[in-house]
Amino acid sequence: MNQENSNSAGTVELRGVSYIYGRGTPFEKKAIDNINLTFEPGCITGLIGHTGSGKSTLVQLLNGLLKPDEGRILVDGVDIWDEPKKQNKLRFKVGLVFQYPEYQLFEETVRRDIAYGPSNMKLSGEEIERRVVESAKFCGLDEELLDKSPFELSGGQRRRAAIAGVIAMEPRVLILDEPTAGLDPMGREDILGGMRSYQRARNSTVIIVSHSMEDMARYSDRIVVMKNGRVEASGGRTEVFSRSDMLIGAGLDVPQITRLWEILKGRGIELPDDVFTVERACEVLLDLLRTDLQTVKGR
Amino acid sequence: MKNVCFSYNTEDGRPTNQVLKNITLTINRGEFVAVLGHNGSGKSTLAKLLNLILLPDSGSIIIDGKEVTSPDLSDDEVYETRRHVGMVFQNPDNQLVATVVEEDVAFGPENLGIPPAEIRARVDKALELVGMSEYRRHSPSRLSGGQKQRIAIAGIIAMLPDCIVFDEPTAMLDPSGRAEVMNIIRMLNRDRGITVLHITHNMNEAITADRVIVINDGELCMDDTPRRVFSQVAKLHSIGLDVPQVTELLYELGLCGVELPVDVLTYEECADLLIRKIEEKK
Repeated sequence: MNQENSNSAGTVELRGVSYIYGRGTPFEKKAIDNINLTFEPGCITGLIGHTGSGKSTLVQLLNGLLKPDEGRILVDGVDIWDEPKKQNKLRFKVGLVFQYPEYQLFEETVRRDIAYGPSNMKLSGEEIERRVVESAKFCGLDEELLDKSPFELSGGQRRRAAIAGVIAMEPRVLILDEPTAGLDPMGREDILGGMRSYQRARNSTVIIVSHSMEDMARYSDRIVVMKNGRVEASGGRTEVFSRSDMLIGAGLDVPQITRLWEILKGRGIELPDDVFTVERACEVLLDLLRTDLQTVKGR
Repeated sequence: MKNVCFSYNTEDGRPTNQVLKNITLTINRGEFVAVLGHNGSGKSTLAKLLNLILLPDSGSIIIDGKEVTSPDLSDDEVYETRRHVGMVFQNPDNQLVATVVEEDVAFGPENLGIPPAEIRARVDKALELVGMSEYRRHSPSRLSGGQKQRIAIAGIIAMLPDCIVFDEPTAMLDPSGRAEVMNIIRMLNRDRGITVLHITHNMNEAITADRVIVINDGELCMDDTPRRVFSQVAKLHSIGLDVPQVTELLYELGLCGVELPVDVLTYEECADLLIRKIEEKK
């Protein structure tokens, strides 16, 4: 792995951060209200919340696109607004993939588009090429697609190319704002699975904004729930997803399996709490049902 | 639709691969039909053909007994057909044109040349139907995604269509926005008798449909009740689609040797089955 990356951590801390839109106008709105939160490296954090809960404002604050009105944001212990002239460096450290990033592709070939970020980092041609190939792989893009025009790609492939462009900058913190919106189930799995392997390979901090409780139950380690600009809950996935009332109160849903689990428990079946995905539910039910099953077919 | 084929043209006019291949399909008045298919399967193309935004390369489209793809149709008749089949798209921001909610809803009927007094009545009625009357003087830009989508739907309703094609209308919304929009779509179908074609990637939105159509690589691949379609788990997986998680769970248990029927769509049905099975084991 890259030298520079291996010794820099990727911890993001928010201390008393507030952000107000339209300050001094009749539309003044506190989008982020006194948030204290830490994102740690080595895990995927799912950021969930209703529309207007402040998720997108929060991610824009994290990579310095917006400046907090109050409070501080620290990346690896350094306040990102201490030296505004070094903002560039921050952007290299904290990569943000916007919603519908496929509309931002502009180069003639996919290869050149992915290389755009690293080229601005004054890296050698060899290093850039290595990064392009590697990021394309993480995003599940075949190498043969690299020399095509982005316009020859399908929507899902374009989305992956755009994500690869951010990954190629090897940010310590990778933030994705609804990376799977509008994709079919297979496309969703490809991207989230790719982000999981990326996070493991680099031990980086990954933050994913999502509206899909099922996807987050499957792919995140920690969950942060936002409501009206505040953090409503944060913690491990078991801790958060077992609080259905809180989730619904925050305008969200619970994973489908959680609903089933609640019905089963309500009808007197004893079951463990940490079940939010089909895979895990299947394991638990098999244990319950298998006792006298003679033959069990492997999958 | 009778034997409809369609391909897009590249910039230099060459046709690309066929996006829709020989589709023959009847949507009945008053039906709620969900359309599933992976990205690029041809679902949205199908929708655009129904509304004559696109014209088929071959085959014909017949709406209320009238062949709307016939070459000797006048422009006026094409416009009239478009009025019958409204469309709501994925991104609400691309569909709202005015700076005030009620002006936006009035945009469609204005273009149809409806007299102002009637436009007023239609706009009020449409906003009431989607539950957005109190926002009539607001700016659409300050509404939530679900609210914007409801305004977009009101704009279509104000044109009094018989059929509305929804192209992934909930894809960009949060769970409560999704629920808001789905409730309105179901209400329009149930109470107003509007034929609904609902394109979605969300399998749970499809289970309440009367009928589910699956498009794969431009071909009509399944056309049946939700229960029968979703019980074909392996087939759906093979074309890149999911089933509701309760169905998936029963299917996976089946693969591991626990025999359970998979034609189950709701949480309660699934719970009933599992409890019966657990009690049998005791």
